[in-house]
Amino acid sequence: MGIRFNEVSYTYNSFSDMEASAIYKISLDIKEKDEFIALVGHTGSGKTTLAKHMNALIFPTSGYMEIFGKKIEHKRNKKIKYNDIRQNVGLVFQFPEYQLFEETVLKDVMFGPMNFHIDKEEAKELAMNAIRLVGLDESYFERNPYNLSGGEKKRVSIAGILAMDPKILVLDEPTSGLDPAGKRVLMELFLNIHETTNKTVVIITHDMDLVYEYFNRVIVMNEGEKIYEGEPEKLFRNSALIEEYLDYPNSIKVLKHLNKTLKLDLDVFKKTADDVLAEIKKAVK
Amino acid sequence: MGYITIKDLNFSYNRKQNVLNNINVEINKGDWVAVLGHNGSGKSTLAKALVGLIEPQSGTITIDGLELTEESAYDIRKKIGIVFQNPDNQFVGVTVRDDIAFGMENLQVAREEMIERILFYADKVQMKNFLDKEPSQLSGGQKQRVAIAGILAMKTDIIIFDEATSMLDPSAREELMSYIKSLHDEGLTIIMITHDINEALLADKLLILKEGEVFAQDDSRKLMRHKHLFVESHLELPVALDVANELKDKKYDLIKETLWAYVSMK
Repeated sequence: MGIRFNEVSYTYNSFSDMEASAIYKISLDIKEKDEFIALVGHTGSGKTTLAKHMNALIFPTSGYMEIFGKKIEHKRNKKIKYNDIRQNVGLVFQFPEYQLFEETVLKDVMFGPMNFHIDKEEAKELAMNAIRLVGLDESYFERNPYNLSGGEKKRVSIAGILAMDPKILVLDEPTSGLDPAGKRVLMELFLNIHETTNKTVVIITHDMDLVYEYFNRVIVMNEGEKIYEGEPEKLFRNSALIEEYLDYPNSIKVLKHLNKTLKLDLDVFKKTADDVLAEIKKAVK
Repeated sequence: MGYITIKDLNFSYNRKQNVLNNINVEINKGDWVAVLGHNGSGKSTLAKALVGLIEPQSGTITIDGLELTEESAYDIRKKIGIVFQNPDNQFVGVTVRDDIAFGMENLQVAREEMIERILFYADKVQMKNFLDKEPSQLSGGQKQRVAIAGILAMKTDIIIFDEATSMLDPSAREELMSYIKSLHDEGLTIIMITHDINEALLADKLLILKEGEVFAQDDSRKLMRHKHLFVESHLELPVALDVANELKDKKYDLIKETLWAYVSMK
């Protein structure tokens, strides 16, 4: 078993608890393996709060979590080793590149495993593998993280989490701030990690184009509640829900616009520019 | 000579490899220019050079007839303001009021005048009711609006937005873009650094940087007919234009026209 939310609510009543938006009675199952999930919703909808529960960074106000068999409730339980949970579920925050601090890439990536009391040689081995896994070669090991590009820094910080060999990887808006090519490369990288290791990957994103093209399961949050869970294809066919809470991917928007303006009858559910083009060519003889 | 003229500009951080390589650009008063480029193309370095935050190894930048030098930097900053990417890193005041005042204090604006301008520009960016709020009580979009008010209050003619929307969520982003549009309508010169093609579409002119060099510069609609320019500089065209550019046969003219109109209306 991976991660299970059982009617989890998180609310705050004092300033010190105000680290996250509220969520209400969320029930959700995330399998230990083979899932590639998008988590979407507006700012303040509770996406990040949900993510923080996934590795017990914050505790439910009511309801309970089960994370790899450990029951997490409101009250801290002295018998539970929370560090183990954080090793099982790796959470990459938004803009992790601002959190790099070591002098070299290798040292920065080693920091995670060493923090979990893995000895230096083994940590080094894990770090080297993780750096390669994010698509950076050996020439990066001794480089200073400060002199890397935005995309490279992001990869280094993701390697830092991968080096702990988490079973589930949770990423909060990992592609924001990247150029379009960098965005695609990173998405392909996550997909590749997912496919080669079977690890479950959960990605928070605002980008409906990515949701439509890459994911097979999507969870939609709104004002702290889960309002949809299922396939992206079905989500984008639910026009009432999309128009009220989200946005269509660009390909669907463009086709809908053509249908409306030119009174055409194109199938709007196409994912890429090539698919859109083919649909137009098929319809206009 | 343009309102802003960049001539033979070279810059490197380590003297080994140029981050900016022989840049030549002219921008007219009232232009809205989008500077596009992949991560590491030199976009942000160019922005820093324009406001005198870094000193080029060679070449000149002239703004409104005044060449940017160490001595003229103070006067040039009265003409040009910059809004950065991270809303948290540029909030220097204790409250919204202080933050808007900061730039004017540097320009030694008289106190009475300052109070007046704070109210006027806070109102303009819809932050008048937040004057005594601290940064921790504001959203990212609100902080960016405060930063803009601070620059407007300095009455600069030129504003650079250095990926100012990239850390905002879609609705805050849209709001900021429509705000930038209204500044352009009022006659300000806008230089917008971005890699979001949908934002760049709103600008009149595009400047595409690739590996520190000017790869292309022209009217945005002209450039957007050439997909290869975007692919080669690691960028993407919006789906609508990607499709429009591929519809070459005459029978698709109406669809093409509709797709272009769709992109322009956003």
